[in-house]
Amino acid sequence: MRRQEDKGRSQEVQLLLAERPRNRFVRGSLYLLLALIMVSWTFGDLQVDELFSTHRLRNLNRFLSEVRPFPLHGKEWDWGVALSWAQEIFKREGLEATLSTLGISVVAILLAGFFGSLMALPAARNLACSEPFLPEIRPPPLRARVFYALLAPVTRFALILLRAIPEYIWAFILLAVMGPSAWPAIVALAIHNTGILGRLQAETVENVNPNPLSALRGLGGKRSQLAAVGLLPLLLPRGLLYLFYRWETCVREATVLGMLGFSSLGFWITDARARLQYDRFLFFVLLGAAVVLIGDFISAFLRRIVRKA
Amino acid sequence: MKGTSLELDGVSVQYGNTTALEAVSLSISAGERVGLVGPSGSGKTTLLRLLNGSVLPDQGDVHVSGSPLYTLSRTDLRRVRASIGFVYQDHRLVPNLQVSQNVIAGQLGRVSLLKSLRMMLFPSRVMVEKAHEILCRVGIGEKLFERTDHLSGGQQQRVAIARALFQEPQVLLADEPVSSVDPARAKDAVELLTRISREENLTLVMSLHNLDLAREYCERLIGLRRGRIVFDEPTSSIQESHFSELYRIGEGEMLADGA
Repeated sequence: MRRQEDKGRSQEVQLLLAERPRNRFVRGSLYLLLALIMVSWTFGDLQVDELFSTHRLRNLNRFLSEVRPFPLHGKEWDWGVALSWAQEIFKREGLEATLSTLGISVVAILLAGFFGSLMALPAARNLACSEPFLPEIRPPPLRARVFYALLAPVTRFALILLRAIPEYIWAFILLAVMGPSAWPAIVALAIHNTGILGRLQAETVENVNPNPLSALRGLGGKRSQLAAVGLLPLLLPRGLLYLFYRWETCVREATVLGMLGFSSLGFWITDARARLQYDRFLFFVLLGAAVVLIGDFISAFLRRIVRKA
Repeated sequence: MKGTSLELDGVSVQYGNTTALEAVSLSISAGERVGLVGPSGSGKTTLLRLLNGSVLPDQGDVHVSGSPLYTLSRTDLRRVRASIGFVYQDHRLVPNLQVSQNVIAGQLGRVSLLKSLRMMLFPSRVMVEKAHEILCRVGIGEKLFERTDHLSGGQQQRVAIARALFQEPQVLLADEPVSSVDPARAKDAVELLTRISREENLTLVMSLHNLDLAREYCERLIGLRRGRIVFDEPTSSIQESHFSELYRIGEGEMLADGA
């Protein structure tokens, strides 16, 4: 009797299992993935041994020898000589390039923070409506309704355009317009990050606790006053976190953008590469990494202070 | 004479399928001190919000000082709102501003953007001293420069009252001003509101759960039940039976009502 009941149950479970909802898309893509892996292993010309061929090994050897600081070519390694060589380059070009890299990133992120925050206001749907933070008291005129129906979507679209074009392309365009100086890099970084920060800040505005703001509206505050007196203090901590986070990226990008011919680290990296001076090349790459690391540390430090306040 | 009259004329408010207020009419004359009583969900908060134009009724009109609220221009609506102080149940202060800044924000409805920025960042000495004076009146003068969210619930309540007073209003609306404090402080807060409204001759409307307080401090009581006015009489003629009528929720009663 008992056994029969168990059997009936296991049959029912089988039935339910067969009838369970299945996601065709997930299954299909799994099969496709499997098939692609098999095809690429069978027909692809990926040959692992090529990676370690003698030809490549020779290339690597030559590169490593050229990477040795110039005064030490063909000589015994000497830390003293290497260090004074590095010091020399740092004094001649490195320091200025480092400072200009940091300078470009700081000016760019300040501009992006300012314009991004400004554009976040019309991009936030809870603020860009005819009666922010309170219910509509009477139907607004048609003109106002059309205006507010369009304001947030249009601003958001503009922000998308700003950030859809990479910094590198912006800098390329601006270089043609503004001529070679640090400004194309600054403006390029500022434009791209305005798009990103504007979007992020708009989201924080839309997620703000509406109660304090509805109270300010209820006692007669204008939209601009709500933004200045209510939103600004409420959103400042989070806004600063985003700002510092994007600044880290800016430091990295400012290095890379130098490759277009601005006086940042990237410029000296391409310069050394063009002269086939691989020792200097490596030096500037490492210096760039150090600058990015320093930027990350400063940013992490500032973010911790903000979070505690 | 200060103070402003308030009038509801056949007002109904619906939130989705629930009726918050149904065909409510009443008029409150300038300088009157009125208590709203009734069980939770009876429409007290909605009624108060109608009076400062932060709820749109489905039917009916609201008049503040004789002028119909829903035909006012934007500037006039702003002026009316600036003349009505509202003390919210949940305070609704900006938590990470100083107490003084929250109090000074009460003036937003009367100044331009530029002036309001200056007031918040570099307030004049006169203004800070006025904020301090009001905070002393509500009993927390020493908290002037503290961060608002470092204060207790009861103290924040007082900041909210101070903000409403700094507004220099004609009308004071208070939604359960005692819900977040213990009974002794509750009495203090209600006494404070009534004393101020008497001194400044402000119209005062407050919703109260505590019937004893309502009877002690209001000259007129309005009883609400399920969105309708059950009684509206001077406090002197209110009987115990009025309240029992208001709060009767016998078993099965709710079912009978709902049918």
